[in-house]
Amino acid sequence: MSDDDQVKMDAIVVGGGPAGLSAAYAMAKAGLEVMLVERGETCGSKNVGGLVYGTVLNKLIPNFFEKAPIERPVSRRTLVFLGEGEHVSMNFGADEWSRPPFNNTFVVHRSQFDRWYSKQAEAAGANLIEGMVVEDLVYEGSNGGRKAVGVKLRGDEEFRADVVVLADGANCLVSEKARADLGLKPGLVKQEYAIGVKEILGLPRGTIEDRFNLDPHEGVAIDFFGTPFEGLVGGGFLYTAKDSIHLGFAARIESLTHAGLSPNEVMDVLKAHPVVRKYIRGAELLEYSAHMIPEGGYNAVTELHGNGVMITGDAAGFVNMSIYKEGTNHAMESGVCAAETAIEAKKRGDFSAQGLAGYRDRLNQGVVMKDLKKYRKVSEVLEGSPDLLSLYPKKVNRLMIDLFTVGSQTKSETQKRAIKAFLTGLPKFRAIRDLIRARHLA
Amino acid sequence: MTPDEKLSLADKLYRTKYEPDPGHPHVTVDAASLKKAKTRKILKACPAGVYTKDPNDPEKVAVSHENCLECGTCRQAGADEGVEWKQPDGGKGVKYRYG
Ligand SMILES: Cc1cc2nc3c(=O)[nH]c(=O)nc-3n(C[C@H](O)[C@H](O)[C@H](O)COP(=O)(O)OP(=O)(O)OC[C@H]3O[C@@H](n4cnc5c(N)ncnc54)[C@H](O)[C@@H]3O)c2cc1C
Repeated sequence: MSDDDQVKMDAIVVGGGPAGLSAAYAMAKAGLEVMLVERGETCGSKNVGGLVYGTVLNKLIPNFFEKAPIERPVSRRTLVFLGEGEHVSMNFGADEWSRPPFNNTFVVHRSQFDRWYSKQAEAAGANLIEGMVVEDLVYEGSNGGRKAVGVKLRGDEEFRADVVVLADGANCLVSEKARADLGLKPGLVKQEYAIGVKEILGLPRGTIEDRFNLDPHEGVAIDFFGTPFEGLVGGGFLYTAKDSIHLGFAARIESLTHAGLSPNEVMDVLKAHPVVRKYIRGAELLEYSAHMIPEGGYNAVTELHGNGVMITGDAAGFVNMSIYKEGTNHAMESGVCAAETAIEAKKRGDFSAQGLAGYRDRLNQGVVMKDLKKYRKVSEVLEGSPDLLSLYPKKVNRLMIDLFTVGSQTKSETQKRAIKAFLTGLPKFRAIRDLIRARHLA
Repeated sequence: MTPDEKLSLADKLYRTKYEPDPGHPHVTVDAASLKKAKTRKILKACPAGVYTKDPNDPEKVAVSHENCLECGTCRQAGADEGVEWKQPDGGKGVKYRYG
């Protein structure tokens, strides 16, 4: 059935986050007729994140950081192992990270950043339809010949296109249904999700810079491990924005329900830890948010293209959950790969699964799939060796505190005792196995 | 500025902006499925406490859909507990200013 009075687009993008906006931007730049549908009142209003990595975006929009709403670049990173009261941390940074391109690492407010990005896509020629929910895809044909030919909005309005790029994020109802309807091959394992919970805590700019030892154009990203997350597969983070702090954590949903903990309880435990409490002293809560993160990695990736469809970003499961927590740049890269594939398909006039197979090849040749593959064991290691995230950090804390506790015994005695205390309760063989496994995380 | 280390969950949610859509709940719990389920994971798992024990009927849960942060955790944790969740209508629901 074809409607003569209905405009047909070259491509429709579902979702205006980093993945969808990159796809829309790149396709519009290449002269395709693109429509992007976003359910939020504006792009960004439903989105929560932490850092934005800029490698891909800097190729699309050179020196984007001069124009985009960047809060602060990340000029210093800190890893903190929290015990009950004790803590050990590692700090590193480079002066170079305070200068363009700022190590491609930025603290942003995603609501504002994504909105800015949507304006760039619009200026490049993409049509933004905001405040509309895509309910389903529109199909023609049946069985193996079934092909997506557009999207159905809530309220039954339909839009048609040669190809649909799905970028509906972690909680991806449209992609889930499309996978089933088109019979896309499942991944080796089921997708696993973490829940990320975050508070935006307002503090005067000067207070932040004094408290965190920053110049005005600098920022810090802190990762927390240890006691507040005991029994959970997860950890916390603190990022400095201009005049607010992002404080939050992410934990595997299954580990939370298993431990019988509610996300807000964990958040409050993190906030009450002596190390964290002092960072946020006097701050005013501006916003409380939550968002899922797909953590299944490489093994959970499904077939990602079918007749008339490509799946990108979080909806595709493109998050690296090793010590490098990256989702934004993978989302953007996959969006660009989908755009390039659509541009090529248009030239050949073939939008079938076969005609879109270049999407898979581009992903395999790019950073996304290579990185996901390198870290394909992360999920399994974190689940199989919970001690990595709690017992060992605790032990290291204890060791440092014992070594540096000033008392009246000799240093030899102090050290002997400290090492003995370190080794008791460490399951030797399991410890060796765990430490060997830990290499998969870095 | 109020130092607010001790905010309740309700206080926290009050700081987050929503575009309400009264009378159009986008999330419900199917009573029959819930009754069959042995667990009540959604009571704890939701970061916004959308699901609470129904004070009038211990078999049921009450749903405060207006507090939903639209993360989807209940769809994962409560797949067997009767959670029926769809996106709120366009522009409705949570509206992050920072995100
Ligand atoms: C707490 C937290 C911390 C994080 N920290 C980092 C970090 O430090 N570094 C990093 O690189 N990544 C981080 N991430 C991950 C990163 O945010 C995601 O990988 C990234 O946002 C994925 O982009 P996306 O475009 O695929 O999805 P999203 O950004 O989620 O965008 C999806 C869009 O689709 C829209 N949508 C969904 N369904 C529909 C529908 N039916 N109709 C219309 N529109 C729809 C949504 O409203 C949304 O705008 C973090 C995530 C969280 C939650």
